[in-house]
Amino acid sequence: MTRRVAIIGTSAIPIGRHQTSDDAQLQTLEHEIMTRLVVEAVRDAGVEKNDIQSLIFTLPRPYTRQKYFHTFLMGQLRLSCRGSVMEVMGNGMTAALAFDQACNEILLGRAEVALALGINMESAVSAAEHAMSSMRTTGDVDFHTSAGFTPISWYAMDATRYMHEYGATREQLGAVAVKNRHHASLNPLAQYRKPITLEEVVGQRPIVEPLGLYDVPPRGDGAACLVLASEEVARSLGRPYAVVRGRGFFHDGSHQINDVPNNMIAFEAARQAAATAYQQAGIAAADIDLAELYAPCTIVEVLVSEAIGLCPQGQGARAAFDGETRLGGRIPISTSGGLTSRGHPAYVTSLYNYVELAEQLRGRAGERQVKDARLGLATGELGNYNAALIHVLEAMA
Amino acid sequence: MTHPATLSVVPATGRRSYPPRISAFTQPFWDGLRSGHWQTTCCQECSRQTFPPKPVCPHCWSTRVTWSDLSARGTLYSWTRIHAAPTAFASEAPYAVGIVDLDSGIRLACRLHEGDPVAWRPGMTVEMTVLQFEDGPLFAARPLNPTP
Repeated sequence: MTRRVAIIGTSAIPIGRHQTSDDAQLQTLEHEIMTRLVVEAVRDAGVEKNDIQSLIFTLPRPYTRQKYFHTFLMGQLRLSCRGSVMEVMGNGMTAALAFDQACNEILLGRAEVALALGINMESAVSAAEHAMSSMRTTGDVDFHTSAGFTPISWYAMDATRYMHEYGATREQLGAVAVKNRHHASLNPLAQYRKPITLEEVVGQRPIVEPLGLYDVPPRGDGAACLVLASEEVARSLGRPYAVVRGRGFFHDGSHQINDVPNNMIAFEAARQAAATAYQQAGIAAADIDLAELYAPCTIVEVLVSEAIGLCPQGQGARAAFDGETRLGGRIPISTSGGLTSRGHPAYVTSLYNYVELAEQLRGRAGERQVKDARLGLATGELGNYNAALIHVLEAMA
Repeated sequence: MTHPATLSVVPATGRRSYPPRISAFTQPFWDGLRSGHWQTTCCQECSRQTFPPKPVCPHCWSTRVTWSDLSARGTLYSWTRIHAAPTAFASEAPYAVGIVDLDSGIRLACRLHEGDPVAWRPGMTVEMTVLQFEDGPLFAARPLNPTP
């Protein structure tokens, strides 16, 4: 039987505004948060310090003063190991890649236990100043950034096109935000937990038309740690775990925009990556019990839900409006509260998505538990979903 | 070509908020744009245009590329108006940007130029234009027949 990887332990801090400004008398130090989280996650897993042989970190934001954070943390924890220790980077896909690489360490036999972990601190930097950096990540810095494009402006254009093609309404998109806030109200790790109404969502000031404040992600800081192990180790511990059943990746060969006109809102990379993951898992989209999508804006959740086959094309917004993607609905999506309410510390966002899947698949999600959750799916992306990395996880009792 | 590749040049005040870098390779594009010349690279092996201009054809990887005219007209595929702008663009906000499918088959993204606010909608016909700032040009799209 081929080797398989399991999530056996997790830890995370509630997403929020943790970063201190440079002139604060008492500073929040990233490594103090991270070392505590490692200990907490390893305790949750029930393994020993010496079992850990690989650590895959997400790259910290440039605002983190301590450089070479990964190897610095090895010193803080006096961890020696023979697998790999590295920081990975891939914009929004960063944390999904960290998870994927940690899986690889185990699949390659370099480690029986590996950590995927990281911290993203940015909230003390103003949105406008942070955008001076993020605007250089999406599109061509000379031909697009010069016109003033920002990362979420591309998603906004997805929304305009989607509404144009399918007659979807602002209210249908806004229903995603209302639903996610409801889920977040049940999640102690979520940044925004006070329930909101559809009237409040559509009444917010525009950020990138047609999207308003509650359709786009808040700024926030976060940190999380996942403990992964070979299934053999996971089984020996005698506790529930979540095993990786399928994995798919696809890059569509474009960056943000395709100069050969295509169906921009079909999210072809997500469709192909999901097909690979489903095939590997031997399942169909209809078998998925819950999905934690990398969806910075309401429209993105809608488009991904269609691309990966959870909703028919053109029906994703209506499905959200009708409650199909809500807890208790046909296919619960973003039970954590999603990026719009659980929060979006971008470089570690996907770690939180795996934390949520691990909680759900181990039956520990409390009030937001999806009944009989067996198969969960998580996505990561680059650009305007020009690339997607998708994992299917299964509950093992 | 039905529509000339010479674009109208619209004076714009001040300097560009985040000027593009110019290389020896892209210099003909930006120098040409200054006088309304609207062009990109075309592969001499597979005859396909690409935008932005590139020294290697992304389709067949040939390095035999030459300059060729782009269509001045197109169809608006999608658009947004950005209210939350990066620091460098704050004084321009809110401003509209969009994706245009040129009649000659190239899709691109650019600023949407509007004197008075325009009711942009996907499917509308637009024409490319040059915004002539004090320090250089930017390309943009505007409605084909702007209402006076």
